[in-house]
Amino acid sequence: MNRSAPRSIDQYLRQLREELAGADSALIQDALYDAEEYLRAEVAAHPDKSEADVLELIASTYGAPDEVATAYRDTEVKVKAAMATPRKEAKSAMGRFFGVFLDPRTYTSLFLMLLGLPRGIIYFVLAVTGLSLSAGFSVLIIGVPFFLMFTAICRVVSLAEGRLIEAMTGVRMPRRPVYQGTALGFWARIGEMLKDPRTWTTIAYFVLMLPMGILYFVIAVAGLSVSLSLTALPIIGVLGQAGWFGLGGVEVFSTAQPEWVFHTGFGIPLLGLAGVLLLTSLMHLARATGKLQAMFAKSMLVARTASSPEAAEPDAALAAH
Amino acid sequence: MDDSNERKFQKELNGGLVGLVLLAVLAESDEDLYGYEIAKRLASANDGTSIFKEGTIYPVLRALSAGNLLTSRIVPSYSGPPRRYYRITEQGRGVLAEWKLIWQGTRDFVDRFTETENSDTGHSS
Repeated sequence: MNRSAPRSIDQYLRQLREELAGADSALIQDALYDAEEYLRAEVAAHPDKSEADVLELIASTYGAPDEVATAYRDTEVKVKAAMATPRKEAKSAMGRFFGVFLDPRTYTSLFLMLLGLPRGIIYFVLAVTGLSLSAGFSVLIIGVPFFLMFTAICRVVSLAEGRLIEAMTGVRMPRRPVYQGTALGFWARIGEMLKDPRTWTTIAYFVLMLPMGILYFVIAVAGLSVSLSLTALPIIGVLGQAGWFGLGGVEVFSTAQPEWVFHTGFGIPLLGLAGVLLLTSLMHLARATGKLQAMFAKSMLVARTASSPEAAEPDAALAAH
Repeated sequence: MDDSNERKFQKELNGGLVGLVLLAVLAESDEDLYGYEIAKRLASANDGTSIFKEGTIYPVLRALSAGNLLTSRIVPSYSGPPRRYYRITEQGRGVLAEWKLIWQGTRDFVDRFTETENSDTGHSS
C-alpha cells in the first residue's frame, strides 16, 4: 500500500500482523509462522545479499504483506465454506429446536464434555506437579532447566488441546506453535517465558480445567441418563403391559412414585415427552458449551497478537539473524 | 488501469488452480517438500517468476492438508522455524486425477473460443 516497503524480516512480520489485525488470532499465528519460514529460508538461500536486499524483492515473489494477508483471509473463508456440510436452515421454531439433532457439532461437543473429566485431571496434575516441583527445585541447579521443560511441555499440550477443540467444535485454533526465535540466549529465553502472559494463562487454563471438566462431565452424564430413561419410559411401559419386558420378575412400575402419574393412561407418554424435551435441551446446552469452551480456550491459550503486537511476542526474538 | 485489470483476472484464475498445481507438484516429487521448496519449484518452472504470489501457497497447502489430501511432518531447521514437509496421500492422488480431468475439459472448452482468432473454422474445432 502506501506505507514504506519492509526492510527486514522483523518489519515484514510486523506489517503482516497489522494487515491481519482483527482476523482470527489463530490464523494470525499460522500466517506469521509461514511467512517467517519463507523469509528466513530466502535470506539463507542468498548468503551474498543483505537482508534488506532480499526483502526488496519479496513483494514480487512472496507478496507484499497486504497481498499475503488477503490470501489468508480468502483461503480461510473458502475452506470453511467448502468443509462445512451444507445444511438446510430450518425456518419454524420447531424445526430449529429439533434441528440440533442433525448438527454433527452437537454430538462432538457432547463428547468433548464427557472428555472434560479425564482432560481436567491430566491438565491439573501436569500444572500442579510442574509448578510445585519448579518451586521446590528452584534452589537447586536443576530448577531452571526443569522450569523450561515444564513450560515447553505446557505449550505442546496446549497446542494438542487446541487441535482437539477445533476438531470437536469447529472453532479455529492454531495449527502451528509460536516460534520463539533461535538467537536468544538461555537466560533471555527464560526471561521471555516468565514475561509472556500466555505462559501463565496456559497454566491457569490447565488448573481451571479440573473444576470445569467435572462440571461438564456431571452435566453430560446426569442429563443423558435422566433424559434417556424418561424417553424410554413409554416404550418400556407398553412392552411391560404386553408382557414382553420385565426386569427379572420385578414389575417395572410397581414401586414407582407418584403412583397417580403411572396409573393414568396419559401420564406415561407425558413423561416420555418430557424426556425428549430434556434430551433436546441437553443437546442445545452441549453445543453452546462447546462454543463457550472454545472461546475460553482461545482467549487463554492463543497469544493475542492482533490487539497488542508489541506485548505478546518478543520482537527481539524475531529480529534474530 | 490495464495492469490492475490483468492482475485481478490472474488472481481470480489462480483461485482454484493453486490447489491443482500444488497437488501435481507433490505427486511428481519423489521426496517430501516444504513450503519454500515448492514455491521455488513453481518459480523455476516459469523462468524464475511464479505466476502465484508465493505467499498464497501456504494457506492452500494447509487447507489441502486439513482435507486429508496431504500429510505432513515437522523437521527442525537451522535457518528458521521448524519446517513442515508435505507428501501427497492416496486420497490426494485420486482427487488430483479428477481435478486434472476437470481442468483439461475446462481448458479445451475455453480454447475453443479463445483460439478462433487464429483459425477460420469458427466456433467448432
